[in-house]
Amino acid sequence: MARVQPFRSRVLPDGFVVATARSGDHAFFSAAEFEQFQQSPASLPLRRQAELRARFLLGDSAPSVGMRRLMNSRVAAKRETVSAGPALHIIVPTLQCAHSCRYCQVSRSLHDQGHTLSTADLDAACDTIFESPASTLTVEFQGGDPLLRFDLIERAILRIQARNAFEGRRIRFVVASTLHQLDAAMCDFFKTHGVYLSTSIDGPRDLHNRNRPIPGRDAYERTLTGVDLARRHIGVDAVAALMTTTKASLDQPEAIVDEYVRLGFGEIFLRPLSSYGFAKRNQALLGYSVQDFFRFYQRGLQRVLHWNQQGAVIREVYASILLNKMLSTFDAGYVDLQSPTGAGASVLVYNYDGYIYPSDEARMMAETGDTSLRMGRIGTPLEALLVSPARAELVKASKVDGMAACQACPYSLFCAPNPVDAQAQFGTPFVPPHNTEHCQRHLGMFDAMFMAVRTADETLLDLFHAWARPTAETQV
Amino acid sequence: MRKLRATFQPGCEVLVHRVVGYAEVGAEWTPHLRFLVKVESKEERAGVEALKDAALANVAWVQSAALQDGDVVVPHPDRDEAVVLMRESDTHHALFMTNRCNSYCLMCSQPPTPGDDSWLVEEAVDAIRHLRHSPDVLGLTGGEPLLLGAGLRRVLDAVAQHHPRTRVEVLTNGRLFADPKVVSTILDGLSVPVRWLVPLYGHADFVHDFVVQAHGAYDETLAGLLALQANCQAIQLRIVLIEPVLQVLPELAGFIGRNLPFVHEVALMGCEPTGFALANRALCEVDLSAWGSTLEQAARVLRRHAVPHLFMNAPLCALPRTLWPVASRSISDWKNVYASECDRCAVKARCAGLFAWHEKGWKPAPLKAIEAGEVIA
Repeated sequence: MARVQPFRSRVLPDGFVVATARSGDHAFFSAAEFEQFQQSPASLPLRRQAELRARFLLGDSAPSVGMRRLMNSRVAAKRETVSAGPALHIIVPTLQCAHSCRYCQVSRSLHDQGHTLSTADLDAACDTIFESPASTLTVEFQGGDPLLRFDLIERAILRIQARNAFEGRRIRFVVASTLHQLDAAMCDFFKTHGVYLSTSIDGPRDLHNRNRPIPGRDAYERTLTGVDLARRHIGVDAVAALMTTTKASLDQPEAIVDEYVRLGFGEIFLRPLSSYGFAKRNQALLGYSVQDFFRFYQRGLQRVLHWNQQGAVIREVYASILLNKMLSTFDAGYVDLQSPTGAGASVLVYNYDGYIYPSDEARMMAETGDTSLRMGRIGTPLEALLVSPARAELVKASKVDGMAACQACPYSLFCAPNPVDAQAQFGTPFVPPHNTEHCQRHLGMFDAMFMAVRTADETLLDLFHAWARPTAETQV
Repeated sequence: MRKLRATFQPGCEVLVHRVVGYAEVGAEWTPHLRFLVKVESKEERAGVEALKDAALANVAWVQSAALQDGDVVVPHPDRDEAVVLMRESDTHHALFMTNRCNSYCLMCSQPPTPGDDSWLVEEAVDAIRHLRHSPDVLGLTGGEPLLLGAGLRRVLDAVAQHHPRTRVEVLTNGRLFADPKVVSTILDGLSVPVRWLVPLYGHADFVHDFVVQAHGAYDETLAGLLALQANCQAIQLRIVLIEPVLQVLPELAGFIGRNLPFVHEVALMGCEPTGFALANRALCEVDLSAWGSTLEQAARVLRRHAVPHLFMNAPLCALPRTLWPVASRSISDWKNVYASECDRCAVKARCAGLFAWHEKGWKPAPLKAIEAGEVIA
């Protein structure tokens, strides 16, 4: 006899119901069919019953051994990335930067002294990285603009590679930079050592230069010069780009996407601006609502899909992160949606100030005076960091199973409270999730993606599944 | 398996022998094996009989135009027939392990019988010992080989001992692997690389259990597949394309993609028109060419989940052109034939062709010779 299995559901804005099973599978229902499913599932057509059984939404009163083991294997596959140990290690060699971006929370001018990592701390950070049991590691240099201290990057990479000759891990190096300081010698070093570059491009020239002021008002031109240099010296895939959505971006998503296509990038991440740090002070000038972001995002996503139809291969990363959760058996482990949070477990940030932070956002909060998320001094053994009071608080505040507000949410399998965000927004990680911008945004984003999946034709579903596959990039 | 006409030396035992040429017997003889020496004249017969008289008890002559050197055979002197268990020149090598089974699939090509046939294990071990050259792949089939328990393990260990470079493929419904004791008996310390060929016919229990005519089979097979995965064993899922399976095929493909993405590949197979399939003709006889869009959709879903897949036992003219790259020549040599339509077909050389018994059963689709001009596109 068919019995309804534990599920969570939600009425989507288009009136259809989405239900998710513990396995992570989902099904869509009309309101009438959903009623029938709940009241008398055995009266559903046999074909439909089979579909729902195959998604763990229907089953027998006493679950059989095979189906129970299958469910356990699904749950285990979803958790695998969380248990693999810290995989992303961010080193912040310096806060110095030539830009004075209005929404930037941290950077210091070129003439600033004292916002740079000591070599002793740098060496210690490199050694801590190897305490992680993860077989695949990403080491990312952020800033400031880390290329201003290329000497420190070089020192770290050489030290890590020397040790890895014995460790045998797969290590991916990424340098996040404006690329303004990039020169041929640096490119040679990056090529030799397999280092990828990541830069910021906010969109077309005017938008970018407006967002990222430098004295010559030519941030865009100089970044593109760097991209070009890197592509010629290192390889066509040497550089990825990230954008930040500002108030000025909101009315031009198509132009931003077109710019990425024109520049030949295979990925674009339509990222919202976090409303804290230095950016918080400029809230009126820079801030926008979750609804504003949705409108921007949907137009941008449609443009990305349009380009794919035209044969230009470009992936939207935010959609990929959500689709990975919704469609793939294997979780790519996106930190901000992990439960407990990946901040401080999958990710560690070794900051110029000599401390280790659980995430990029957490070290930025320290710049505005909130150092509560510090996990310990650089050099503290990994074991101790993972049980530090800061990490313990983050775990407690991000256990989705313990959140009353998340219990009824069909997306709770794919999502989790973001305690770092909550700390930034409210000064404490312990905030009812539905009060946070993080929750409001992801509810809307998942709603939109589920509606898109429900109505997608076969070609679009092919694309969505291709995006859903875990890649190294979605892990950061 | 092949049954060939042959005349044997009187008194020849009904046990596994290796066929050897008259000139080679000196070079190949060892005391641990039995040899059938191919003779072509009275003198050669006398020569072999003289060897036997000289206390070489493990040789006997055979006269047959059809036998080849290296054949592993069981002689049946009473009916002048040699049963060929293995032949070196074949592409596919398989040993029959048991005729017993715990499922009764609608389209079973080898309808099970309940009798004790445990002697087949001894025959298989013997055949493995008598095989002269190590094949790349050796198939073990049935019936359900897991019913043999430790007997199956003996056969696997014999392969490891005598043919360390050979990989084994076991055709099993996997149900008994739901039992940890069976898992341990078969897999603990197993040194031979095995690929387990496991049929799956539905995305829900009642679909699969109907096809295999056994209640609870689906659940046991799933548990078995997970046990194989936990033991790092390679799995090929097998889906026979009969009507009730084709009805749900794209959904089944999605189920595999979501739940069993660890399988090495999925084989989508044309039905062998023999055995129970003849009795259940209404469910088993399908015109594959009428299901082209279903097959394409299933392949598309498997691609989405990055699950490798191939089509077996399906002639190219029965498949949509888009699926030709994943069509394979899969029918065992001794069962494989082509029809008269095939003679003028431009792609015959890379086509799976037909089962020999399609004459008594049916063809998987109306056959159609592919013109040379069509192929280039």
